[in-house]
Amino acid sequence: MIKKIKASKSEKIIFTFIIVLALFSFGSFFLIKDKCLFVKDYDPYKIKFDKPRNIVVLNVPCGNVIIELYPEISPKGVKRFITLVKSKAYDDVAFHRVIKDTLVQAGDLEFGKKGNIDYGKIGTGKSGLGTINSEVDNPFNFEKGSVALARTQKYNTEDSQFFIVLRDEPLYETEYTPIGKVIYGLKALKKIKYLDKSQYVLRPDYINSIRMLIN
Amino acid sequence: MNLIRLILLSLFIFTQSQADTIYNLIKIPNLEIYKINKFNKLRYLYAKQPFTIGVDNNINCFSSEKKVLDEKYKIIQKNLDRYDQKFLKKINLKYIVLCEDLSISNINTAGIPDNVMKTLILDIKFDEKYFERVIHHEVFHIINDSFKEIFDEKVWSEFNVKNFKYAECSTCTDKIGLDTYKKTEGFFTEYSRSTASEDMAEVFSHLMIGSNSNNSDPILKKKIKFIKNNLLKIDKNFIL
Repeated sequence: MIKKIKASKSEKIIFTFIIVLALFSFGSFFLIKDKCLFVKDYDPYKIKFDKPRNIVVLNVPCGNVIIELYPEISPKGVKRFITLVKSKAYDDVAFHRVIKDTLVQAGDLEFGKKGNIDYGKIGTGKSGLGTINSEVDNPFNFEKGSVALARTQKYNTEDSQFFIVLRDEPLYETEYTPIGKVIYGLKALKKIKYLDKSQYVLRPDYINSIRMLIN
Repeated sequence: MNLIRLILLSLFIFTQSQADTIYNLIKIPNLEIYKINKFNKLRYLYAKQPFTIGVDNNINCFSSEKKVLDEKYKIIQKNLDRYDQKFLKKINLKYIVLCEDLSISNINTAGIPDNVMKTLILDIKFDEKYFERVIHHEVFHIINDSFKEIFDEKVWSEFNVKNFKYAECSTCTDKIGLDTYKKTEGFFTEYSRSTASEDMAEVFSHLMIGSNSNNSDPILKKKIKFIKNNLLKIDKNFIL
């Protein structure tokens, strides 16, 4: 006859702990898969803005990023950006250069379009509108969320590419043309796909759309 | 105790560094921000670790102790504050890299100017006797490189006595003495005799620190006038 052994109190606790842990791990596996789980999606129409005409809504995989443009700081840079936004040129364009917690860069209209991406040339494409002069003389605090036009190593080569910094970058003042700042939704940008070993992203995330709040 | 170590280690690991940003801007690794000057917007960077750059990695510089850095920064900042933001923008100088034992192809040097990258690397352990003067000397190289057409070496060479010839390059000669001559005879220092651009830089640096600017040497008088006039062409408000 088999003798029935009663579980001790500590054995019961360990058993319960293992069960809870298993449930938690199993649950997390599915929850973590959704990278946008804890990212708030902002509805721009429910927010009041001081200058609604300067607001653009960038829609990315994890929701809306709301940017205020500063035409008084960089008039030519902002004008170029708005021109491209209004022509919907940025739709389906890759975030081709992403550095974790540092910056996301997009806007290569020539080699960064979904379905037509060229990994060998991405980052060198043009808009067809020509380059514009850098606007770097006005004081600007390049704090987290600042949006600026990208350029080559030389000044006055800004075109369509832009980047958004995910941390304060004080050295960028007088280096890059600032065009605005993210006022809501920076967390959605932190979820943009990046690679640990390279700044340039293979199979990147794309801009869904960028629209002016008021056309 | 282990927990404290773990917390400290994680802080070290997760503290965000600006080194990548700086590398993207000026192509020098292992640098961190020391200070950003509010007056003329010069960005002072320091070597957190030794770095190697240049063709065949021929430029080397090493990190310094914080105490040395703090001490030398005051001197450098005092001297570089004499250049305003507008002037610095014109000559293309924005980043000052502070490190020690700077060498190029194993030859020790006080500074390496690079107007294309808007950078001046300074050896903060360079001989204290000449340290302040050398700062302006290196700034002049940035000025000269940005305005080569103004500082015509042919015109400059003609100020010297007829038989005098400069060396082919600043490192192709033994004339490296930096002591200011008592009897100048057209040159402030022995190093001035190396090349035309080093000679100009020596005149400029002597003017900036105010030594021998009232020199009665007729050749030096011409050289001083040349430097002053050309600086005013770059910036009419430039004060020597």
